[in-house]
Amino acid sequence: MTLAAGGARPGPPPPVIDAEGLEKSYARESGLEVRALRGLDLRVQRGEYLAIMGPSGSGKSTLLQILGCLDAPTAGSYRLAGEEVARMDEDALAEVRNRRIGFVFQAFNLLPGASALRNVALPLMYRGVRPGQRAERAAAALARVGLADRLDHRPNELSGGQRQRVAIARALVTEPDILLADEPTGNLDSRTGREVLALFDALHDEGRTVLLVTHEAEVAERTDRVVHIRDGRVESIQTAGPRAAAPVGAAPEGAP
Amino acid sequence: MILENLRSAFEALAANRLRSVLTLLGVMIGVFAVTTTVSLGAIATAGITGQLQAFGNQALFITPNEDNPASTAFSDADIDALSRLPVSVLRQRSVRGVARAGTEEASLVLNGVTANAPQVDRTIKLARGRYFSEDEDRRAAPVMVLSADAREALFPSDPNPVGREVSVTVGSSRTFYTVIGAKEPLTGAFSFAASASADVPLQTLYQVYPSVTRGEYPFLPLTVSLERDLGDIEAQVGAVLARRRGADTFRIQTIEGALTLFKTITTILQAVLGGIGAVSLLVGGIGILNIMLVSVTERTREIGLRKALGARKGVILQQFLIEAVALTVVGGLIGLAAAIGTLYLAVALVPFLDQVVLSPFTVLLGLFVSVVTGIVFGVWPASRAANLSPIEALRYE
Repeated sequence: MTLAAGGARPGPPPPVIDAEGLEKSYARESGLEVRALRGLDLRVQRGEYLAIMGPSGSGKSTLLQILGCLDAPTAGSYRLAGEEVARMDEDALAEVRNRRIGFVFQAFNLLPGASALRNVALPLMYRGVRPGQRAERAAAALARVGLADRLDHRPNELSGGQRQRVAIARALVTEPDILLADEPTGNLDSRTGREVLALFDALHDEGRTVLLVTHEAEVAERTDRVVHIRDGRVESIQTAGPRAAAPVGAAPEGAP
Repeated sequence: MILENLRSAFEALAANRLRSVLTLLGVMIGVFAVTTTVSLGAIATAGITGQLQAFGNQALFITPNEDNPASTAFSDADIDALSRLPVSVLRQRSVRGVARAGTEEASLVLNGVTANAPQVDRTIKLARGRYFSEDEDRRAAPVMVLSADAREALFPSDPNPVGREVSVTVGSSRTFYTVIGAKEPLTGAFSFAASASADVPLQTLYQVYPSVTRGEYPFLPLTVSLERDLGDIEAQVGAVLARRRGADTFRIQTIEGALTLFKTITTILQAVLGGIGAVSLLVGGIGILNIMLVSVTERTREIGLRKALGARKGVILQQFLIEAVALTVVGGLIGLAAAIGTLYLAVALVPFLDQVVLSPFTVLLGLFVSVVTGIVFGVWPASRAANLSPIEALRYE
């Protein structure tokens, strides 16, 4: 328990995600209260490769929204890269999303009228980066995902796999603390899906923190650690998978 | 950021070209009406000023004060006193009679004037023949210069009546005159003053019609050269007459007063156009409001995405506001262009108006009105967009 305050001390870097006792309830129109999260704890270290799994209704979407700073928890604490974000207002959350989080969505969510380059440059615009620099960094991000020759293509001129790679480039371009991918292969055929997952593997190997939300065991297997959610709580944590480098749990925090 | 928003605004408008065009129609008509209204006022004023300049002089018109029974006609001594001021005074007496030429017959006003009338009254322009001379005035020669209306009434098939005879019956006396000239029709702002009349030498009028008392003038037309300040001269004329005749015995009118009707018509036209403009802008604005609400709904997912990527409320608000303003400004520009075209057309067709006056103020007003319409009717849809929750927006199908 005392270890939770680690972020304030010099020494090991704080966990990227440090959530404690997250609760989220919604009031249904019927007046019924739905408790989507019921005191969920989650800690993700820098450089981790993690999957969140759970059946529908388990609260995994709600968790992702809170972790992605799209929504605030009803109760509990959420420290993102050492910064408490659970009580932030909307504009402050927008800035945190822009600075710290790279989203990859199941449906890609690219702007249909804009070229790959402009799609990728979009988050940099909201950060206030000057246009010349935006294009440069966006082109570099597209090169990283293997689309250096598709800068001027619009989404409808790209294949599904290419579109998702544009979306990944858009998530990478701000150098976020964590990549959050929500069913990133859900709209892709299995071969293209594997290519996209291979890209996440490679990004992890470069030292990035990657969190996948999925219901496919095949996808989850590639990660270091799989967190199973049920009824708004962590049901079990599994450190299976060939890529696991260290035992998961208290060990990384206890290292010094 | 603003440039980027501007760009995405035009992309969004271009993506729905037909819808955009239909939407901006209302604003277009509104701005068209507003700018036309303002310009029309300026053009009409310039038209009046132009007419007065073409007239060559400023004019005053002095009459006795009819409300004052002690007020009498003006005398030669009054005229001599006024002539010391930098004004030209026209001695003029009129009688009404019936004119006959061949089988044609018409009611006619005979104006007895001095030979300098064309110099004093610049609206006198001769189409045919000549004006009478000082010598003919002195001799009381029976000659006349017909107005265009009189020529038309008496010699409908003959544009050149010079040398022909006209008999004029006043009361029981009948006199024959030789036509020596015919005037051009009155143009522009003066055309409403056109009537069937004929100018004859003043001495002729006195001699033929003894009932017209010499040296009594029921009104005095005065002209003042353009370099003089009319108000100043008016004051001096007033002072001279007040000293000679007493205050309250006369009235001084300016020719601008005679153009009041013209100005009234212009004002009514402006009010009607202004009303159309206001209604069009309102309806156009509601169209913008409607289409922007549709656009926000259609692009809910896009808004959610932009927010997820870090767009603050203010940025989204700005994006949609710029889109609404872009729509109205494009409409406004088209309206302005149409207005300018219409003004040129109006000037070409309406004789009163002689040049297009287009001030930068008018153009700026048109643009200002467009921008304000865009902001007023765009702010609600834009704030709806800005206040969307990112989760709801991303989930929207």
